[in-house]
Amino acid sequence: MNQKKKVKLLKKTSRSFFTYSLIAMLLSVVALYFITVYIIKDETKESLNSAAFRIEKLIEKDGTLINVYPIINTEKVFALKVEKIKDTLLYDLAEEEIEPYTELTKYKEIHGNVYKISVRTKALELHDVLQAIILSLIIFLAVFSSLYYLNKKKIESVWKPFFDNLKKIKEFSVQSNQSINFEDTNIEEFSELNTEIKTLTDKVIADYENLKHFTEDISHEIQTPLAIIQAKIDNSFDENQISEKQYSLLIDISNNARRLATLNKKLILLAKIENQQFKSSDRINFTEVLKKSIENFDGLSELPILIKEMNHIEIYFDEYLARIIADNLLSNAIKYTPTDGKITIESTNNQFIISNTGYESIKNPDKLYNRFYKEHITKKSLGLGLAIVKKICDSFGHSIHYSFDGNMHIFKLTFK
Amino acid sequence: MKILIAEDEIILQESIVKFLKRDAHICETASDYHEAVSKISIYEYDLILLDINLITGSGLDLLKLIKREGKKIPIIIISANNSLDDKIEGLDLGADDYLTKPFHLTELNSRIKAVMRRGKYDGDTNINFNEIKINTEAIQAYVNNKSIQLTKKEYDLLVYFITNKNRVLSKEVIAEHLWGDNIDAVDNFDFIYVHINHLRKKLTEVAANYIKTVYRIGYKFTDEDM
Repeated sequence: MNQKKKVKLLKKTSRSFFTYSLIAMLLSVVALYFITVYIIKDETKESLNSAAFRIEKLIEKDGTLINVYPIINTEKVFALKVEKIKDTLLYDLAEEEIEPYTELTKYKEIHGNVYKISVRTKALELHDVLQAIILSLIIFLAVFSSLYYLNKKKIESVWKPFFDNLKKIKEFSVQSNQSINFEDTNIEEFSELNTEIKTLTDKVIADYENLKHFTEDISHEIQTPLAIIQAKIDNSFDENQISEKQYSLLIDISNNARRLATLNKKLILLAKIENQQFKSSDRINFTEVLKKSIENFDGLSELPILIKEMNHIEIYFDEYLARIIADNLLSNAIKYTPTDGKITIESTNNQFIISNTGYESIKNPDKLYNRFYKEHITKKSLGLGLAIVKKICDSFGHSIHYSFDGNMHIFKLTFK
Repeated sequence: MKILIAEDEIILQESIVKFLKRDAHICETASDYHEAVSKISIYEYDLILLDINLITGSGLDLLKLIKREGKKIPIIIISANNSLDDKIEGLDLGADDYLTKPFHLTELNSRIKAVMRRGKYDGDTNINFNEIKINTEAIQAYVNNKSIQLTKKEYDLLVYFITNKNRVLSKEVIAEHLWGDNIDAVDNFDFIYVHINHLRKKLTEVAANYIKTVYRIGYKFTDEDM
């Protein structure tokens, strides 16, 4: 699945608000400029038209030709021409410089004579308009910035309960058995969200507790009858009148009761690892744990256990689980080594390698860590040892790797 | 020795009583929490076997009660719960040992004797059987007052034999006592024979003869003729 790039909510909302507002503002400034220019030009044209009209009326009345430089100019011409309006530059006597003017020229036939009437007015200078608009833009920006800042503060305060509660959810741990307590908020959606999350987490806690109790109850319910079977058998061993045949029958029952008890214990251990009920992480010396484990196996088999290298491995781990890893890997090696084979053990800085003689590689290495997987049906194995090792490694971030090289099965455990 | 067995499973309770009585212990039983509380407050016991899951209450609460009253009674917890936390809690509260169900009665027996030997209860830290003497503090065995060199497993084996004398011990039971859950690594327990032989060789001829082979089943440590 493609993960989308993550942006903070507040950044995202304020950033888009900022961008859109800026674009809108620039567009409106451009529009404002053109509209202003259009309106001014229109107004100028109208006032020039009305001035020309009045001059026309004066000529009609008594034929007076008014000439006021540079705004009015009337003269007699010979031909009628099309009326036109244009911008022009003229010398302004008052200001003593050349100024832009807008000039309207009309041709009119009055009492048989053709007159050319020109009226002019000072043209609006565009840079003045621009200046005014830029000034207003600056005012806009100032207002906008303060609004943006206020809005940001407001949003932050509105979203605060959300972020506070998000922090609480992050800190939530199902093992702690502590329900989440959210701060009350007056925003309806947040309040609903909190209620839903609380319901959900309470359910998770309850389920987790149930599961924990279930495994504990199962343990009790299975171990007790097994204890009774075992006690009954042990007592009958002491009764001399039982025959040898009955004896071996009882031993079979006893062995299978023990197998069942071991199976039960291992399944519960797996469940507990899955439920993450082991959380202690002390600094332990794995090599010492390993030595104790090797010592305990002493005499159980005739197989030589060769220690190649024994460096100290200091790691943060649960000591009980470390011992289970060592025991299970050793037990596995002993179980599958031919009587003329050997077992070698090596521990370096952060690796523990155990290898044992074998004739051929495991056929299904990918299934090696599955529960109840058995490579040899003939072996009296529960098929849980390696599954437990793998599960422990996974939940503590260590890794285990199997390979077959030089007639040796090699398990390499790399600590985090 | 007077022992109180606080266990709510009646059949298991009866089996334990039957087994312990053969060693001439006086056994009393309590089938629930309240019975256990009242018996402990009225009578004196040399040892209490305490189940954690008693129908009407928790064995751990009972343990707290006993310790609060300052009674110096050895206590062994027997529990169906294999959880390490319970084990640690029980031992922290002052229990002397913790045995997980199912267990062999011979294992229970050797745990009881080990607890009683502890200096804390002024018991005899030595184990004696005719010419064999074991100093459990020094972890050293003697035959006719001459020390013998045993490996750890051989030593454990000898102690286990003597504490369960006159009882038949199957190869499986012996293996389980010595190697615990690790016996899963092997398919059969015939190799026990090798260890027994090593032990026999280190004892005197007379002492070696105490370890009697029970054909196809196991061994019995006894000075009686079979």
